[in-house]
Amino acid sequence: MLQKSKLALRDGTSLDDLIMRDSNEVSLRVMTDEELYKLEMEKIFAKTWLLLGHESEIPETGDFIVRDMAEDNVIVARGPDGDVHVSLNVCPHRGMRVCLGEAGNKRVHQCIYHGWAFRPNGDFIGAPVEREKMHGNDVDKKTLGLKKARVHLYGGLIFATWDVDGPSFDEFLGDSKYYMDQLFCRTDSGLELLGPPQRFVLPCNWKVPGEQSGSDGFHTLTLHRSLMEGGVMGGTAESIYDQAPGMYGVDISCKQGHSLRCLEAEKTFKMFADVPFEGKSTRERLELLTPPGITKEMIPELFKNLSEDQVNQLATIPPQVGGLFPNVLIAFIFAPRTDGGSSGALTLHTYMPKGPDRVEFTNYIFAEKDAPEQMKRDMLQNSIWNTGTSGVIEQDDADVWPVIMKNARGAVSKGVTLKYKALHGHERPEGWVGEGLLYPGFTKDDTQWNWWLAYYDLMDAV
Amino acid sequence: MTWKTKSTAAPDATTILRGLVSKKRVPLGSEVYNRILETLYDEAAALDERRIDDWIAMIAQDIIYQAPIRLTRTGPNRDRDVMRTMFHFDENYESLMMRSGRLQKSAWAEDPPSRCRRFVTNVRIGECATPGEYEVVSYLFLERSRGDSPDNERTTAERRDIWRDVDGEYKLARREIIVDQSVLGMSNFAVFL
Repeated sequence: MLQKSKLALRDGTSLDDLIMRDSNEVSLRVMTDEELYKLEMEKIFAKTWLLLGHESEIPETGDFIVRDMAEDNVIVARGPDGDVHVSLNVCPHRGMRVCLGEAGNKRVHQCIYHGWAFRPNGDFIGAPVEREKMHGNDVDKKTLGLKKARVHLYGGLIFATWDVDGPSFDEFLGDSKYYMDQLFCRTDSGLELLGPPQRFVLPCNWKVPGEQSGSDGFHTLTLHRSLMEGGVMGGTAESIYDQAPGMYGVDISCKQGHSLRCLEAEKTFKMFADVPFEGKSTRERLELLTPPGITKEMIPELFKNLSEDQVNQLATIPPQVGGLFPNVLIAFIFAPRTDGGSSGALTLHTYMPKGPDRVEFTNYIFAEKDAPEQMKRDMLQNSIWNTGTSGVIEQDDADVWPVIMKNARGAVSKGVTLKYKALHGHERPEGWVGEGLLYPGFTKDDTQWNWWLAYYDLMDAV
Repeated sequence: MTWKTKSTAAPDATTILRGLVSKKRVPLGSEVYNRILETLYDEAAALDERRIDDWIAMIAQDIIYQAPIRLTRTGPNRDRDVMRTMFHFDENYESLMMRSGRLQKSAWAEDPPSRCRRFVTNVRIGECATPGEYEVVSYLFLERSRGDSPDNERTTAERRDIWRDVDGEYKLARREIIVDQSVLGMSNFAVFL
């Protein structure tokens, strides 16, 4: 028997009534409930590691960007020490935002209301008219800094958490690190963000796109059937469900809720179907088809930065899409186009909660820093074409999610459950090297169910 | 591992919003002004009526069609808020053709289709250095009704175009859509601006 959760809403509904671990169902009510939303903000978004950007956005001392950790606005700045600092963008004097721009360079952040001033690392400098001690008569300045978050850089990605004593970032990644490293820590110079992120707001709860980021592969066949109709993926409009391109591979996940779908390029995309991979070594395979975003010149770097087993996976069955719990979608995809171009697209999205019925979709578009300029240009265009605001893949997602949200409001509809009963169960494919929970074959509900179990664990925690 | 890099997202890559550049104005009410204004109205009608092939026919094959993102800035850089390193649209003729082709297939974002009204105003026109090409700046107000929602999605933008006289018809050769929101309130840009 599973231990029952002590978490209950005011009307007596328990977490177990919402996340039904015995039957693998989730009540649609989780998408609209305001009380649950407030608990999520405390127990998930004020606790776990959140993605805020990439350090290539703030290369110089004093460079800053302003981002959100759910509804908490933060300043992400590079200090004179060269380190990246994340501090709450709320003046401890009267609660005004200290920094009003989205990006720039400042050695001193001065609140425009009464003039309290702070360093890039959040330390309090002072209040105007120093002799009058407007910060308080007997108050130590050290106590008046902006609230600081704990920061971790991973492959240049900036993560932060308010849980100063909580799990380390490596503990947060768990067994997924082996696979994530293949995307984020594989080259000498690492990734570069090509510009500030696209930002747009959708009228839905953060968990509607969130649970999809737990590696929902199945929706591609129907929601994104224009990819098959357009001839990008295998099959034709008539044979989509027979051929089921992009469905067979190995889905990986872990108890922390992260996941990735690992797919063989030749079985996914029409244009790679005839590449003669048979009997080729890892290096030869990489020469024939480099992973998305990688050039032939970077191949030796892969062997330098990754283990041989990791490079072998990247060459044969690379991670393509997935997510980091709670709110990051990863798409490091080949993304061939109908015009034959296949420069690849490297994007990350965050789905930041903005109330129970609003979410900000933030789309970060990357390239390898050492990629040639023309390749970066192609990847930018390819990423914009496929993902984010106008992306032909994701405009369809953005159309579905608000409708699910509308449904979740009905007195009867909210009792409908989301079903995660198509489960494969953990199975280690022969010769597979990485750890984690493994689901070979046709993509099933396992990874998304693990996403909900990770949600349950954090919500249940005291 | 950390590294320092000159990022394309760094502030110096931004530019200031500036409308009409040409000093040779095409006066309001002149023949050319009237014909271009009429073309803008025809274009809006083609898009609102979802006659996408008619719209494609109005486009030059060397078109550059982009919508840079806007950023909220303060201080000395406060006017440098058009970020031409990142876009909502970054299109050429082929990619616009592919988008229009997709609309004929299972493009659920526009099936059922949105009901759109494109209001085009504040049209200012100048002559380009190349004869027969005109710089056309206009304001766009897009109202978009989706499904059974009584609340329209909307967006406002300035469009900086180049229209080219090709055998007596004007073709769109360049469009830069400068949206006003740094965070878009529209769920997607599955419609053209």
